[in-house]
Amino acid sequence: MNDLMERLQRDFGVDDITVRKPALTTFRVKKDSAETLIRELRDREGYTHLNFMTCIDYIEDGIFTLVYMLHNYDKKLSLGVHVDISRENEDMVSIHTLWAQAWTYQRELREMYGINFPGSPRLEEDFCLEGWDDIPPMRREFDTKEFSEQRFGHREGRHSEEPRDHMKVELYPNRGGDEK
Amino acid sequence: MNLKDLLSPFFVWQRAFEKPYTSIRPTIDRPGAPAYRGFHINIADTCVGCGSCHEICQNHAIDMVAVEEYLGREGDSGLRPRFDYGRCCWCGLCVDICTAASLRMSNEYAWISEDPTVFHFTAGVDDKPWQDNENGYRRAEGYHLYPPKRIEMEMLPANESVSSFEEVVKGYSEEQAKKEADRCVECGICVATCPAHMDVPDYIHSIRDGNYEKGLQLMYRTNPFPATCGRICTRRCESVCPVGILGEPVAIRWLKRLIVDQVDASDYQRILADTITENGKKIAVIGAGPGGMSAAYYLRKKGYAVTVFEAQESAGGMLRYGVPSYRLPDNDLDKDIDYIVSLGVEIKYNTAIGKDIKFEQLLENYDAVFMSTGLSVPSSMRIHGEDHPRVLSGLQVLADVANGRDPGIGKKVAVIGGGNVAMDAARVSRRFDAEVTILYRRRISEMPADEEEIHESQEEGCRIVQQAIPVEIVSADSEQQVAIRWGEAEMVDDPKGGRPRPVLQEDRMHTDTYDSIISAIGQGSNLDYISKEMHEEFAIEWGKFTPGEYQHTTLEKVFVGGDFANSTADAISAIEDGHHAARGIDRYLNPAAYEEK
Amino acid sequence: MKLPFGRTTSSPISTGHSASLDFAQPEPVDLASGKYVKLWQGPQHPGITGNMSLELTLDGDTIIDCKTHVGYLHRGFEKLMERRSFIQNFTVVCRIAVPEPTFNEYLYSHAVEEISGIEIPERATWLRTMNLEMMRLASFLMWIGGQGGAFGQYTVANWTLAYRDYVLDLFEEMTGARIYHMYIVPGGVRAGLPDGFEGRAREIMDGAEKLLDQIERVMFNNTVFKARSKGLAIIPPEMIDPYGIVGPNARACGVKRDLRKDEPYLAYDQLDFDIVTGTDSDAYERAYLRLQETRQCISLIRQCLDRMPMDGAFQADMPNVLHWKVPAGETYVKAECTRGEYGYYMVTDGSELVRRVHVRGPSYTHAIAVMERLAVGNNIADIAGMMVSLHTYPPEIER
Repeated sequence: MNDLMERLQRDFGVDDITVRKPALTTFRVKKDSAETLIRELRDREGYTHLNFMTCIDYIEDGIFTLVYMLHNYDKKLSLGVHVDISRENEDMVSIHTLWAQAWTYQRELREMYGINFPGSPRLEEDFCLEGWDDIPPMRREFDTKEFSEQRFGHREGRHSEEPRDHMKVELYPNRGGDEK
Repeated sequence: MNLKDLLSPFFVWQRAFEKPYTSIRPTIDRPGAPAYRGFHINIADTCVGCGSCHEICQNHAIDMVAVEEYLGREGDSGLRPRFDYGRCCWCGLCVDICTAASLRMSNEYAWISEDPTVFHFTAGVDDKPWQDNENGYRRAEGYHLYPPKRIEMEMLPANESVSSFEEVVKGYSEEQAKKEADRCVECGICVATCPAHMDVPDYIHSIRDGNYEKGLQLMYRTNPFPATCGRICTRRCESVCPVGILGEPVAIRWLKRLIVDQVDASDYQRILADTITENGKKIAVIGAGPGGMSAAYYLRKKGYAVTVFEAQESAGGMLRYGVPSYRLPDNDLDKDIDYIVSLGVEIKYNTAIGKDIKFEQLLENYDAVFMSTGLSVPSSMRIHGEDHPRVLSGLQVLADVANGRDPGIGKKVAVIGGGNVAMDAARVSRRFDAEVTILYRRRISEMPADEEEIHESQEEGCRIVQQAIPVEIVSADSEQQVAIRWGEAEMVDDPKGGRPRPVLQEDRMHTDTYDSIISAIGQGSNLDYISKEMHEEFAIEWGKFTPGEYQHTTLEKVFVGGDFANSTADAISAIEDGHHAARGIDRYLNPAAYEEK
Repeated sequence: MKLPFGRTTSSPISTGHSASLDFAQPEPVDLASGKYVKLWQGPQHPGITGNMSLELTLDGDTIIDCKTHVGYLHRGFEKLMERRSFIQNFTVVCRIAVPEPTFNEYLYSHAVEEISGIEIPERATWLRTMNLEMMRLASFLMWIGGQGGAFGQYTVANWTLAYRDYVLDLFEEMTGARIYHMYIVPGGVRAGLPDGFEGRAREIMDGAEKLLDQIERVMFNNTVFKARSKGLAIIPPEMIDPYGIVGPNARACGVKRDLRKDEPYLAYDQLDFDIVTGTDSDAYERAYLRLQETRQCISLIRQCLDRMPMDGAFQADMPNVLHWKVPAGETYVKAECTRGEYGYYMVTDGSELVRRVHVRGPSYTHAIAVMERLAVGNNIADIAGMMVSLHTYPPEIER
């Protein structure tokens, strides 16, 4: 494992190498080398299985971290390849030629995060969200609560009290700490 | 295609004679499994309305609604959970988190109505057919969603503590405190019970965040004696903590102490940032105990010039002269007092009202007066021979020790009483190497003293004789000694339902000789500084005031608080009295500010 | 090759090295020519597993293009989890795969435990193992019904679906619910076994064993079933990794992979079982392999009952879940569900909420990329049986 990591560091400039557990190491690679690196891991290092591909929205840093989870069946090791891209309309290199299911993931990421993968088949097709008219819903700024408050009503007559506030009002309205 | 494969499927006919899987409804009723998660049951009398079920419900299916009959019960918010079955997913987390184990589920799962709005009910309050169902899901023994046991407090071992005045309770480390703070369910029921209504859940939260400055600010909102209360508070909050119903209550007192211990006194000014705008009015406070100093603090913050008159040479009252330093070290008490003084509160020490200055003078010279002189006169045992020189008062012994004087108790001591003063006097005596026997009229379980104090005094070697009634003090052979005649008591149930009464058993009398007998059965007030006429005007009964709203007395300018004006007679009540009187005085002197509200 | 019932079949995939596999999408056809028919199968169709739909383009009876459509069960669980506390989420995850909620409960809990460094007590590992195997049994019974039904054998479907209810009875007793058990909770499980459970469980296992023998006689040793499933939807070995095929779908072509053996979790290293593999890799082989795995479940459940400690703690010491902050971390945990690798990828940031959870269900590729590929060239009548033979559950695709 260390040899491989050293080589990846040298050849692809990967960094942020973290051993999450004996069977899982994650690292970060620049967007431009990502596809080549993943291809090499698949073809030369035995990481033939794409467990999944997903995205984490780090809205506070303005980035999407794409995660490619690769698995080596012989060594029973997994690699989590992290690729940071800008949240603002940045394209990502497609890996649909590497695994048959990759385009599905990319289509989903397009729908849920708004990430573009040029060349990926059927990218513009709806995946889960037929007729969706809001921002891509997995982005952190999409507020599910607000969305449902707007579209759905509440049952009439519901009202809840906080024990502490209720007791103050009922039992000692003039005591306790003054208003903050 | 082979013949076998063609014939084999005909085997299905064999099954035609087997018992069918299905059962016919409604002929055959099929109840849920004994632990089925069906409709909710709440034992409303056991429930305390802490709202943890509401808190944990991921569907917002539970509302806490007021149920009149439970409002005002001690340690009960008066709220009960109301379920919206349009949202419930029957996960049962509400049952798992229930601090009182009052919430459970029945194995009933059919509720049919044509009206979709009816599936909304207050469990245990609204009448439902499954309320008495004996089956259904409940939290399994050994399964907890919060730690039921408290983080153990490190104490000085009894063999060490008994020979020094070093503080016995060592205090939590930051890490321990974080863990203990984690146990809080943030219901806030304790806030109602705390006489000062401290923001307990909030400052506990600040411990979890490691933000002690915030914690200190929160505590000073309602209590300018956090270092003191963090050590010796009677902590009624803990007695109502819902976490304590099934486990041990959150150690609120020790957590309060941790916050103070983490902040250096020199940072108080910066953190609390109490800015004072003088309003030109003068207030006199009589007594620099917790009540007086609390009033002084909150009045000073409102811009009043406050002068505190204290008969002793130091401030603190009972906290200094009545609480031994192994429970409350002087420098911790000083931390609280010094900050109040630093805001410009003036204390006139060694100034007794009625002797050095007349009470009437204060009324004349100040815009308002707050009296908080507490209970300083030991109560009499009302038995023959009580005035024997070897009969000492607990208060006197404690005051002597606080002042650095030898209390002169000898080596064999009997302490009479079961309150905190008795325990303190006993434990102090142990530190002067005396062999200590505590005589108490009732059973140990009925002692008014703090349970921990009783336990620690026993640890330190004090012998407690329960159900022992003193009958007479008699002279001993030596002048340095005294004897006490006491009898064993039987507890007799009160036919009216009150607590059992000890009845002296004349045939089981004992006489023991001691070097001294320390009487600590209670104390009364000393109101000699008020004239007879005024006594009547104040309507003082049994040496106690009955103040009105905002601690106001019948005299226009005078407000009272502390032990002689409340029934609980503890530091935290005195602090609240002081705080509340400060509000009252401000309302009295500055009514315009309150008119709109 | 011409088979009975007029079905043409041939392996639609050219064999060769994986690198030469072509993932290209079929060219669109000219529907206006009148030569082709477009047909929607699903989302409500008994031949579809769960709610999804197949957009089929037919040339006569032959499928020349298949596009899958999902989204009928999308409830946004991954998003919901980002705004619920760590304890609340465990009540949500079970809904991600309706017939196999327990795997979600286990993996979610395991991911949280792994990141927070919580070790669960031994008894909990056994209870979890048994719970997962019971789940596998229930799920396989439902699948057998589906597979039988898809080829017209509704008798078997009724047997197994009804018998599944007996297994659900066991769940009801053990966990308090039939479908969404919510039994495996971060830190352990919610309760031990109820009184008398072991006896009833053994009784139901005995019955299940008998039922499986009957099913083998009626469904597997059956000319019709054989004729329709043999040679159908063959997955060649070189498709396995490029298409991310896992579980029985991969094992049926001889790929000896099973996470329970390869990377043992819970108590699987203390149980006796072998990985079942096949060779023919067609619908029949997959079905027969699943039948054997169903039998294996029964054996594993019995072993669990034999070996698990019957008392002791079943939950680790937990912090107060009302304000539980899990330290920042990242992990990917997986388990062998009935359909292969089921995984939870979790990222935490030290707050009271999870940063990101990605649920990896085997159907994601089995029902889309694999299905679309295998469908082409097959007869419309076989599409239902083929889909069931891939054993897919749409909700885990959409999460």
